[in-house]
Amino acid sequence: MLTNYVPVLIFLGIAAAIGILLLGIGFLVGSGSKDDEKLSPYECGFEPFEDSRMKFDVRYYLVAILFIIFDLEIAFLFPWAVSLDTVGGFGLVAMAIFLAVLVVGFIYEWKKGALEWD
Amino acid sequence: MFHAILFYTFAAVLIGAALGVIFSKNPVHAVMLLVLAFFQSAVLWLLAEAEFLAIVLVLVYVGAVMVLFLFVVMMLDINVERVEGGFTKYAPFGLFIAALMVIELVQIIWFRSSGGARSGGFAANPEGYSNTEALGAVLYTEHVYAFEIAAVILLLAIVAAITLTMRKRPGLKQQNISRQVAVKRDDRVRLVEMDAETEQ
Amino acid sequence: MASLVPQFMVDIWDSFPPLLQFLITSTSQILIVTVGIILIVAFSTYFERKVIGAMQGRVGPNRVGPMGLLQPFADVIKLLIKEVVIPEKSNRFLFVIAPLLSLIPALATWAVIPLTDTFVIADINAGLLYVLALTSVGVYGVILAGWATNSKYAFLGAMRSAAQIVAYEIAMGFALVGVLMAAGSLNLGDITRAQAGGVSSWFVWPLLPLFVVYFISAVAETNRAPFDVAEGESEIVAGFHVEYSGVAFALFFLAEYANMVLISALTAIFFLGGWASPFEGWTFLGDDNLLRQPSLIWLFAKVCFFMFTLFWLRATFPRYRYDQIMRLGWKVFIPVTIIWIAVEGVMAWLRIGPWQGLAG
Repeated sequence: MLTNYVPVLIFLGIAAAIGILLLGIGFLVGSGSKDDEKLSPYECGFEPFEDSRMKFDVRYYLVAILFIIFDLEIAFLFPWAVSLDTVGGFGLVAMAIFLAVLVVGFIYEWKKGALEWD
Repeated sequence: MFHAILFYTFAAVLIGAALGVIFSKNPVHAVMLLVLAFFQSAVLWLLAEAEFLAIVLVLVYVGAVMVLFLFVVMMLDINVERVEGGFTKYAPFGLFIAALMVIELVQIIWFRSSGGARSGGFAANPEGYSNTEALGAVLYTEHVYAFEIAAVILLLAIVAAITLTMRKRPGLKQQNISRQVAVKRDDRVRLVEMDAETEQ
Repeated sequence: MASLVPQFMVDIWDSFPPLLQFLITSTSQILIVTVGIILIVAFSTYFERKVIGAMQGRVGPNRVGPMGLLQPFADVIKLLIKEVVIPEKSNRFLFVIAPLLSLIPALATWAVIPLTDTFVIADINAGLLYVLALTSVGVYGVILAGWATNSKYAFLGAMRSAAQIVAYEIAMGFALVGVLMAAGSLNLGDITRAQAGGVSSWFVWPLLPLFVVYFISAVAETNRAPFDVAEGESEIVAGFHVEYSGVAFALFFLAEYANMVLISALTAIFFLGGWASPFEGWTFLGDDNLLRQPSLIWLFAKVCFFMFTLFWLRATFPRYRYDQIMRLGWKVFIPVTIIWIAVEGVMAWLRIGPWQGLAG
């Protein structure tokens, strides 16, 4: 089984190598004339008012947390979908309960307006 | 041999990355090093023939949990001086936790190596063996209670996340699409009958 | 074969240990596939400009080479010799790393894509999980680029794109669970084989809602029009890559197009039978008719079709508003996929559709 994964590792390495190679060529071949104005952050010609790394709406965190929860759900669904014919009716009912519980959560999100983006 | 080389290489990178997480000053660098550490541990799990767990580690931790970390670290501009000031204050507690972890680890290794619980490596899997299928075959039948409890915990997490972070901003104007679509002519237009005004 | 290669080279090859032979063969396979993808990406930019040009009543590129066919190479050379500007307030290390982080997953996912009946670089059991894991890693390039640049436009673009990618990934994951239920395997080759029997047994029919959800989510995942609010040139200039130039920009571009080719290939494999011929079930054509044989050409044709659809979408639809994107992802696609998984569960229970052959 492990030998099947070795090409994956090699592929990751080669993809990184191609990226680094291209960047290297770009830095070597690319023309360059450094200039203070050129290196300043772009903000439609204005001087930037403040540091651009600002505080953000808490809504983004909520989306990220909900994403983790649903991602875990998907991770639970994968082995079930693969072994659908071995777990049989019992597994089907088990998964139906699992999904029903989570659908309750989903409805709760919806009703609370957590999915609203405004 | 090849196996051992792979193991020690990735384990070394893993330890290096974990140390980097602790020692790097830039929190974003620390998160990226943690991502690297997760990748390395995924490879170590692959070496132990646990392909489902290895890939799910990348999927859940790197693809979801670390994204949340990155969001938090990027958007709460952390004041470095204040954090460093807290170091001495929390050091005793940190050392206590560290000591506890070391004791637990040593204990486990000690018992494994002295008692009969020591396993002589993993048995090779037969051809066509699928980790995921094997997991599925027991997870939804033998361990069904644990599985349903997981569902309840996830539900709890949803509720907790919403209670903690949901804030309704006052004075929001929202578009209600179903109401927009359901609008009838009578809701918008009112025909008024009135007598024509005549000049007196 | 043996006559083409001198005997001493065969001897040298045979003297290598099997591990080294294995490493050399897979490395060369990987290099061939990677070069192929980069060439396809180069020509798909040409294809895109021609298609959109035609749809807008223009000619498209026609100056470099016959019919403008050498245009991609001119673009590449131009991007290579441009200056890579690194803004002074940016975090230099992350600024350079970010394009790499978007490129690596876009290329490395190809390791598990079955290109023909017999050829796949890494024939792993958990292929589909690997695809999903690498897709979820792709978001790092965008977030880091936006943050490292230290420009407001870049940061806004990155945050928009991250929240959007995250929302559509769930819908994608659920849609893939549906595919798994029908195929019963995580291996992409086995998923393709489960659709054997020509056009009528492809998964696109029993899983039609999932097919639609998957393809649209995939468009949103790659930040393509009409879901390209991450770039939104009319509002935030170019989004996360506003300060990228030269070869660093080219890497983002390469990653985006490689991802487009990838999702086209994945959609073809999951729903349209991958390398299988649509006429496989037409027995009246005779047993060894070329039309019925599986081949790379069928996969390529399907990929071209989906690439064309992507360009078509871009030429047709105006950009979605951000709240509409989030609404579509969370409130339409996720319920649709959950309902269809339940429907599939019932179908599997009653042994209809692709579940006919399952043992009771």
